[in-house]
Amino acid sequence: MTPAQFEKHIEPRWQKLEKLLTEAEQSHPTAAVEELPATFRQVCHDLSMAQHRMSPQRLTQQLNALAIRAYRVLERHSAGGWEAFLRLFLVEFPQAVRADWKLFWWCTALFYLPAVLIAAITPSHPEWSMALLGPQGMMQIESMYGESSKPSDYVRESFGSGFGMFCFYIWNNVGIDFKTFAGGILGGVGALFVLLFNSLQLGAVFGYVHYSGNPLTLYTWVVAHGAPELTGVVISAMAGMRVGWSVLRPGRMERRAALVLAGRKALPLLTGAAVLTSIAAVLEGFWSPLDLPPTIKFAAGGMCWLAVACFLLFSGRRQSDEA
Amino acid sequence: MAVARADTLQTVELADGVEIQLRVAGPAVRSMAYLIDLLIRIGIDLGVVIGAFWLLPSLIGHQMTGGLVMLFAFFMEWFYNVLFEAGAKGATPGQRSMKLRVMSVTGGPVSLAQAVMRNFLRVVDFMPGLYLTGIVCMLFTKRFQRLGDLVANTVVTYAEVPLSLSPQVEIRAERRAPAQVLTREEQAALLQFLERAPLWADERRIELATLAVPLTQATGTEGLRRLCGMALWCGCKTQKTNAGRRHR
Repeated sequence: MTPAQFEKHIEPRWQKLEKLLTEAEQSHPTAAVEELPATFRQVCHDLSMAQHRMSPQRLTQQLNALAIRAYRVLERHSAGGWEAFLRLFLVEFPQAVRADWKLFWWCTALFYLPAVLIAAITPSHPEWSMALLGPQGMMQIESMYGESSKPSDYVRESFGSGFGMFCFYIWNNVGIDFKTFAGGILGGVGALFVLLFNSLQLGAVFGYVHYSGNPLTLYTWVVAHGAPELTGVVISAMAGMRVGWSVLRPGRMERRAALVLAGRKALPLLTGAAVLTSIAAVLEGFWSPLDLPPTIKFAAGGMCWLAVACFLLFSGRRQSDEA
Repeated sequence: MAVARADTLQTVELADGVEIQLRVAGPAVRSMAYLIDLLIRIGIDLGVVIGAFWLLPSLIGHQMTGGLVMLFAFFMEWFYNVLFEAGAKGATPGQRSMKLRVMSVTGGPVSLAQAVMRNFLRVVDFMPGLYLTGIVCMLFTKRFQRLGDLVANTVVTYAEVPLSLSPQVEIRAERRAPAQVLTREEQAALLQFLERAPLWADERRIELATLAVPLTQATGTEGLRRLCGMALWCGCKTQKTNAGRRHR
């Protein structure tokens, strides 16, 4: 068979595939697309043949482009919609946290211990907190949680202002989650930096408010939304560390493969952190500014912490056998 | 050591056993696509901000409007690329205008998870400015992958391989057997040379033929003539072997 004959021989096949593909790429394909996989395999065979026989480039390129196009159509997968997203958050996310519990506790410790340390030494050495906050931060805290402030100072009356703040928290805090995760790829350094930076700031604020402000104002404000928000910070850093760690210690895998695998493992963590932070934004926008007695605020805040803990501990346990 | 390649074709073996070739795109064309996307995004953002603050405040108040605009900015910042790349076309408008497409390294379309990974890591690829990390990373990987591509296991390829024109020109050269045994790749290179030579100027043909001096033992026009002769010989030979296989 000469190259020309070969070309003529295979032409009907790839023309058929082309027609089927055009149909399949439309929204309402006809029944004829059922022949697509078989035709695709035939054309694949023709392509290998053409490659082996060193057919003219024009032909191999054409078949190559067609094979790529067909493969894209055949491999097209739908993301699964809301159901898949809910499963990712409710089942895969807590499972991923539990599967990596060591990393979770490391990140938790790295986040809370420096904060507690700074807050604890503030009464005897306030200069540490002051240095961390800077003059402007100190002034801001004085005005927000100063000695003359009351828990009811932060009451927002209108729905509009609550919604505006909610959107701001989404834009700012969820964005920070994503950036923390991304920073993790630099051997975990970026995620670690964000974690420690936020930890020290947090510790300084709490320490300074205890030192020279009204702690009740601060605690009634943050107790509820703090639960999902701080957990979100820890877990987004954890997702970043998972990727960073695979760069540092790929184990028995090639570094590139370890990176891809770590990325897959980090996705449920990142999604979970983003959703937790969004929940925190809802609470911070609408619940925290309500004018309620401190006892109710503390009770609800305690419930929030308990809910987050229970969710991470128990959600998706039953499904673990199927997965 | 891997053989240095003269083109950007990457061979991928599909599940069906066939090898396809992806033409990966380099930093320059991807930067152009990025700039176009950036302009589109800025345009949309500006349009939405102006439109929203013009129409909405009287209806829902300033704070609600500000909030909605902020939410929109958040989605544009993080999900503009994700939604387009995970969509049916596999490309953002900017990438489509440069005829690029994001693909999985396996040759398939990009999944939502992959699109999220490769785009969220832009933050790091951008550092310390102007995508320096990403560009350096691309130059050190054979598939031009930035960090986001490495984690997501994706490549940016040309969506369409430009079909090369092959003018039907009779090449007059005496067939001659090469003095040494040629590998399949070398034979293929000769055949491709023969196929594409009519598209080039004379100087270019001779320049390329000079690269094969160890084979032809001649320079200039004579070298070109000998090279074409050997290519014709190879083409004739493959045709014969194919025909022979057919008979058996």
